[in-house]
Amino acid sequence: MAKKDLNIHDKHHRQKMSRGDIVFHIVNYTVFTLLTLVCLFPFYYLFINTISDNELVRLGAIQLYPQGIHFQNYVEVMRIEGILDALLVSVARTVLGTLWTVGGSAMLGYLVTKQEMWLRKVWYRLIVVTMYFSAGLIPWYMNLRMLGFLDNFWVYVIPGLVSPYNVILVKTFIEALPPSLEESATLDGAGYLRCFFNVIMPLIIPILATLCIFSAVGQWNSFTDTMMLMPSGKYYTLQFLLYKYQNEASSLAALVRATQDSSALANLATKQTALSVRMTVAMVVTFPILLVYPFFQRYFVKGIMIGAVKG
Amino acid sequence: MQTYFRKRLGLILAVAVAFLALLLPGMKFYVHSQLGAETAALFPQSVTVGDMVFKGASVLPVDTVPALSLLQFSGWLLMAALAVMLLSLILTLTGRDKALVPAFFLSLMGTALSGTFAVHLMNLDISVLFQLLLTVQFGVYVPFGASAVMSIWLLVLLLKDKDTRAMSEKGWRITAGVVCLVTALMIFLPAYVVQVPDTVTEAPADAAAMNRSVSVLQAALGRQPMLNEAKANGQFQNVLSGDLLALEPFSGDGNNIRGIFLIPESSAVNVAGTGILIMAVVLLLAAVLCFLGKVDKWFPAALTVLSVVLGASAVLGMLMLSSQDMYTGGIRQLLYLGLGAITPVPLIMVFLALFGALCCIECIRAANEPYFVSPVPKKWQIRGLAALLAVLAVVCLLMPGVNYSFYKPGKTQVQSTASLSTFDMLRLSAGENILVPKDKKGAAMYEGTEADSVRDVMVRDVQGLALTTWAALILTVGGLVLLLKGKAKKPSIACFLTACLASLAGWILLMTGMPSSIGTVSCAAPLFMVWPLLIFAAFFTSFSDQEEIPKKYKLFLMMLPFLVAVLLFSYLPLYGWSYAFYNYKFGQPLSEQEFVGFKWFTEMWTNPANRENIVRVLKNTFGMSGLNLATSFLPMVFAIFLNEITNTRFKKFVQIFTTLPNFISWALVFSFAMCLFAMDTGIFSKFMLAIGAIKEPVVWLNSSEHIWLKMWAWSTWKGLGWGAIMYLAAIAGIDQELYEAAKVDGANRWHQMRYITLPGLLPTFFVLLMLSISNILNNGMEQYLVFQNPMNKATIEVLDLYVYNITIASRGTTLYSFGTAIGILKTLVSVTLLFTANFASKKLRGESIV
Repeated sequence: MAKKDLNIHDKHHRQKMSRGDIVFHIVNYTVFTLLTLVCLFPFYYLFINTISDNELVRLGAIQLYPQGIHFQNYVEVMRIEGILDALLVSVARTVLGTLWTVGGSAMLGYLVTKQEMWLRKVWYRLIVVTMYFSAGLIPWYMNLRMLGFLDNFWVYVIPGLVSPYNVILVKTFIEALPPSLEESATLDGAGYLRCFFNVIMPLIIPILATLCIFSAVGQWNSFTDTMMLMPSGKYYTLQFLLYKYQNEASSLAALVRATQDSSALANLATKQTALSVRMTVAMVVTFPILLVYPFFQRYFVKGIMIGAVKG
Repeated sequence: MQTYFRKRLGLILAVAVAFLALLLPGMKFYVHSQLGAETAALFPQSVTVGDMVFKGASVLPVDTVPALSLLQFSGWLLMAALAVMLLSLILTLTGRDKALVPAFFLSLMGTALSGTFAVHLMNLDISVLFQLLLTVQFGVYVPFGASAVMSIWLLVLLLKDKDTRAMSEKGWRITAGVVCLVTALMIFLPAYVVQVPDTVTEAPADAAAMNRSVSVLQAALGRQPMLNEAKANGQFQNVLSGDLLALEPFSGDGNNIRGIFLIPESSAVNVAGTGILIMAVVLLLAAVLCFLGKVDKWFPAALTVLSVVLGASAVLGMLMLSSQDMYTGGIRQLLYLGLGAITPVPLIMVFLALFGALCCIECIRAANEPYFVSPVPKKWQIRGLAALLAVLAVVCLLMPGVNYSFYKPGKTQVQSTASLSTFDMLRLSAGENILVPKDKKGAAMYEGTEADSVRDVMVRDVQGLALTTWAALILTVGGLVLLLKGKAKKPSIACFLTACLASLAGWILLMTGMPSSIGTVSCAAPLFMVWPLLIFAAFFTSFSDQEEIPKKYKLFLMMLPFLVAVLLFSYLPLYGWSYAFYNYKFGQPLSEQEFVGFKWFTEMWTNPANRENIVRVLKNTFGMSGLNLATSFLPMVFAIFLNEITNTRFKKFVQIFTTLPNFISWALVFSFAMCLFAMDTGIFSKFMLAIGAIKEPVVWLNSSEHIWLKMWAWSTWKGLGWGAIMYLAAIAGIDQELYEAAKVDGANRWHQMRYITLPGLLPTFFVLLMLSISNILNNGMEQYLVFQNPMNKATIEVLDLYVYNITIASRGTTLYSFGTAIGILKTLVSVTLLFTANFASKKLRGESIV
């Protein structure tokens, strides 16, 4: 709904432009251009630094435009031990975690709309209340430890089954649908599951898409869970490696040396430095978001608006 | 469109399963990381299929691998196989060329097989362990490939409707029979290979004298006499086995390493093996039925039984793996090798074969008008479910082993572990098997008379558990018989519930029996499974005379898994609040901890060091939250002014790209910060030097100066555009006539913004403000964590980060309880704040925000 309405009084402004208006517009456009640049520049800056001559980067010569363009950094970074594994883990957790969370929310959102369920209100409240309290860091950690989720890939996926906020969104969405659809399906002999998959599911695709994107971004970006729940170093994610490289300069230097030994004579321009590895990994982590973002931007907007209606 | 996909669903599933299965066996074989450092040094690194695909042969040291090129070659082959698999999946999805599909699969299986074969060849004399793993792969791939090809080919045939009809019913029957037969035979194929020395000597070189392949059949039959013999001779001092005490797995000497191949003497293996065996028999029966032409009536029933047995055996096998203590962890590793890694793959191939069989059934059904009717009447379906649950409960009752962990008096670490299998227990012969606990070095832990009393306690415990288990067993079987007779609903329910209580009583008896000064008792997972199984058996029994389970309960049953998840992940952690009242030390059960009451809560204020820290951290928390709160009007201003932009495209552009930073992680934000604000190379430094604001490079990022402001700037950079979206939506909701009317009255732009837009946004602003006030303590920790360093730690540590820093982040800390106490207070304060904000919102605006 928003796109059209947001701009509805554009034409009124265009009709008459006083001098004050012109000044206002110039200032306004300038400010917003600057703001956008501030938001975009770090991405650009990092990018030109990863594709430029590494020696120049080390000296700090690359500021506004790339020099000595090469893509060796990206090739080299893929050779660092553990990066590909981390990529696999990141992708796996993003895909599985998103499907699991969204699937769970959809199903649960559907179930809680069913008035005839035994003690429905009790269960529903039991679920919603969890939004407002948390047991705290230590009990959370101890609990996962007790359940055997430490050093376990599935800790990224399984605990996300029920997310009350998503459930509320789906529930509100389903309640807005005409009940007659489901009734007629029931008359045709469809059970609850068939109703859900064949009748409800196709209708709630918009909200599921939104939830999918939010959940996927969340999964892709999260690194503190890896930090706390993977003490023996299994199933590291890309984000966590990035964080680790930032903090452990020494281990990174060792890594760089390890990947370097075969190419000791390689020229300085493509020689890996701790800085270049760090930046390249950051760029690798950013790319998927940059790629996906323009296509799904409208879903983000839609998502926050649905949230706002509930708000 | 729908029928198109529904028709192909089977095929797509099969391809997906096959695809995963190709990767699966490799993924499981990480032995290296689970062994101790010493032992690991004795083995060459193990290779997984995934490694071969992703890294080529670079994972292996060259000198240990005689034919490196072969490994690389097979890696390529595997990669090709995966690619082909994906391609055919796409082809299937698009339905382009049906004829291509089987060809692709044949080539795929060819590559997979040759790849595996190459690996197999290569590894003949590398090491015992390596050979074990690869032979396993080899033994698994062949039948897997055969069954996959077969069932997928059948499915492809099915897709061509005409062809299915073309084949006679007899032809399909025979095909179904053959598929069943193949599946059954696969079960008898060797599932893993055990390397057992013929004569056990001390010299490790002789250890690889004999190859013995153990099929599931043999595993099901259980005991391996040689193992026991070797144990009796005392040659294998440290062999792991189900009920061994004071063992020392993987310590690095040769005996142990040989030992780990000899283990599978646990009830899980037995039960799972028996399950698989039953499955094989059922399959054979089904095959016979197919050939006899009794297919349409009994085949579905046979298949149902089959899949039930299959699932149950898999579940039971896996359940035994979930035991927690470190020595059964040794067994767990083994089961990883034996059951864990290997069982899934045969299971998958059996499933694939089942797919094929089911397809045949469909065809038979199509050929045989009218459609077959399920041989099981409706009423019996519910009854059957209840009966099945009860049977599972009986199986679980027979399974549990009891694990004892002992502490050496005066020491806190677990010194020794004993586990007892149920079969012994139920014969009430446990006393003979119980040994006096010894520590790692084999010395008796409780000397003199005390040792006897430890043993007495254990004997008493076990006998108590055995008695209650017997009672529960008899009751369950009784209830089962009553249920199957179909007459007595209520007595049957009563039987199940009483059995449940009996089992519970046994567990309580056990847990309270052992004096905590000696050690603790833990039970295997099956014991915990008994209770829900019996309760559900009773639940379904109560509907056993009805056609259908009432809707309200049906819905509840669907809801149940979610409720369990909520319970496990949201409510169960609340139990951890009890840590705050103990002097918690890591790695000890709560019953061993010292109870200190409210000490940690009072410590926060009475202990000056703590008080200082808390005050500092709270100051940071409130400071940074406060800055964000004070500027929380910025997104609104942003939205109001953005709304004045008339160029739609520009507006959209701004909106898209100012929102972008919200979607990157804080780790990434820190990367940006590190590059932009680097002391000598960053653009910010260069810029400041250029305009002469500073004379020499300054440490921007790591310094502690103005850290609150810097943090505020970053969070604003990240959140400003995003926060504005909600206001933009609210602006869109403002009635346009208001603007028109204002214009008529001569209001200029400022007036419109001031008197229409702003008041229109205030309610949204108010709600968000209230929510952020109630979240004032929860400012998260990611941002502060990434920006934290030793220099700025004092001023950047917020409450969440502080708790993390003093507990999980610091090794050997004793502050877990303190951290929990802080967490409790924080939650309480947050909840109070939320309700206060809600109350205020209700009073002021008549609307609640929760």
